[in-house]
Amino acid sequence: MESQANGGSMLSLQGIHKRFGDLEVLRGVDLEIKKGEVVCVLGPSGSGKSTLLRCVNLLEPPEEGDIHLEERSICRGPGSGTGEQSWELDFVRQRVGIVFQQFNLFPHRTALQNVTMAQEKVLGRSSAEAKAKGNELLERVGLGDKLNEYPERLSGGQQQRVAIARALAMDPHVMLFDEVTSALDPELVKEVLDVMRELAEEGMTMIVVTHEIGFAREVADRVVFMDGGVIVEEGPPAQVLDSPREERTKQFLGLVLDH
Amino acid sequence: MEEFIKQFFDVGFMVDHFDEVLDGFWITTQLAVLSGLLALVWGLILATLRQLPGKALLPVRFLTIAYIDVFRGIPLLMLILLIAGGVPALEFLPESLRLPQWFGKPDSFWFGVLAITITYGAYMAEVYRSGIESVPGGQMEAARSLGMSHGQAMRNVILPQAIRKVIAPLLNDFIALTKDTTLVSFIALNEVTLVASDIQSETFNSSALTLGAIMFLVVTLPLARLVDKLISREQGRFTRGAPRVEAL
Repeated sequence: MESQANGGSMLSLQGIHKRFGDLEVLRGVDLEIKKGEVVCVLGPSGSGKSTLLRCVNLLEPPEEGDIHLEERSICRGPGSGTGEQSWELDFVRQRVGIVFQQFNLFPHRTALQNVTMAQEKVLGRSSAEAKAKGNELLERVGLGDKLNEYPERLSGGQQQRVAIARALAMDPHVMLFDEVTSALDPELVKEVLDVMRELAEEGMTMIVVTHEIGFAREVADRVVFMDGGVIVEEGPPAQVLDSPREERTKQFLGLVLDH
Repeated sequence: MEEFIKQFFDVGFMVDHFDEVLDGFWITTQLAVLSGLLALVWGLILATLRQLPGKALLPVRFLTIAYIDVFRGIPLLMLILLIAGGVPALEFLPESLRLPQWFGKPDSFWFGVLAITITYGAYMAEVYRSGIESVPGGQMEAARSLGMSHGQAMRNVILPQAIRKVIAPLLNDFIALTKDTTLVSFIALNEVTLVASDIQSETFNSSALTLGAIMFLVVTLPLARLVDKLISREQGRFTRGAPRVEAL
């Protein structure tokens, strides 16, 4: 697929460290993401992929390092650590959407209400505006007929599409996808990937943590391979996936592809 | 046997004293409902304070936990006696607080409301907490990642789910609270226990107390059945999968 990255910097991560107790999950990660770029992050479990995403939207603020979002620092260098300074949090959460492995839909609200709630509470949109936007987005992810269903009545794939619509309703500049198909039955994976593919084609900046090698090959502008809390190798999908330079990348791809 | 029935179940005696005992039970009901509502609200406030995030609010969380531990740990009767005997002696308080007579109710009524709310607020805070902690962490993360503040996330996402799960245990606490209102008889509030026990000491017949006990059952038994029903509904929902919530 043709790259839609237009050169401007969307996200810039420098020297990110994150520790959980004695365990150092991220050990110095540098990553640049351009506007419109789709980056797939691969790696074995425990390599720090998900933590990296959670650092970007400050769900897990990094202990060390700096993150710039649209050229603005969102964590104040080494030791700032808390990430609870409100302007940064608001700035980040208004620009960064995230979709989780476990969907995390609000079970006490319908599909449409899941999509409208934060629009009204956070963006201050009127109920009519929020509903119109919610309708449009749910229609777009193929759930125009499920507006008033509660999450428990939806399949995993449908729930995940609602979750994508919910994040998009906030008009994010970047979307983070944290293994969003890993909890799905195999036959439901495609419908979710299709929505993500469409989003990529429309030019959304995306960081996709995934085990779907085929998706990475087809959709990503760049593939990043992580292991042991660092980026081992990155580059265009064809290069990283077909002729990896690093031994660890080869091993991992061998394990993923040989079965 | 006849003596036993006459002592405890003298129907004629009950009929003769029915109005008196019912008047007492009416006071009991008002005490229970008012304290119950206040404790429900106060408990929710305590539970929310306990869940506040961040290092800066650590003292608030600490004080809240200390409060809950202390008032769950001391007997309600002692608290009633402390308040009713102590507060009227605090000269620096205005008289309307030292000896409250609001809405035509005696000060003992209000002291009872205060003591029960303080104690049962602590109990109910723990019930709410169990509900809040049973909501998966991903719910808070999802809400925060959409830009909601901690407070917005609690109000719109966490508490509606949490409260639904704890309605049955809260009702259980309310049943216990209703029975514990009898302790306010110690500070001379004319609720059902005091009324009936006065009749007992005057007449050496216990049937008025039995009648009072029956009145309690009339209220507590349906509530207990309701609790059972709610619990089995909750379990049914659990076995069917994700919680179904029609309206809340």
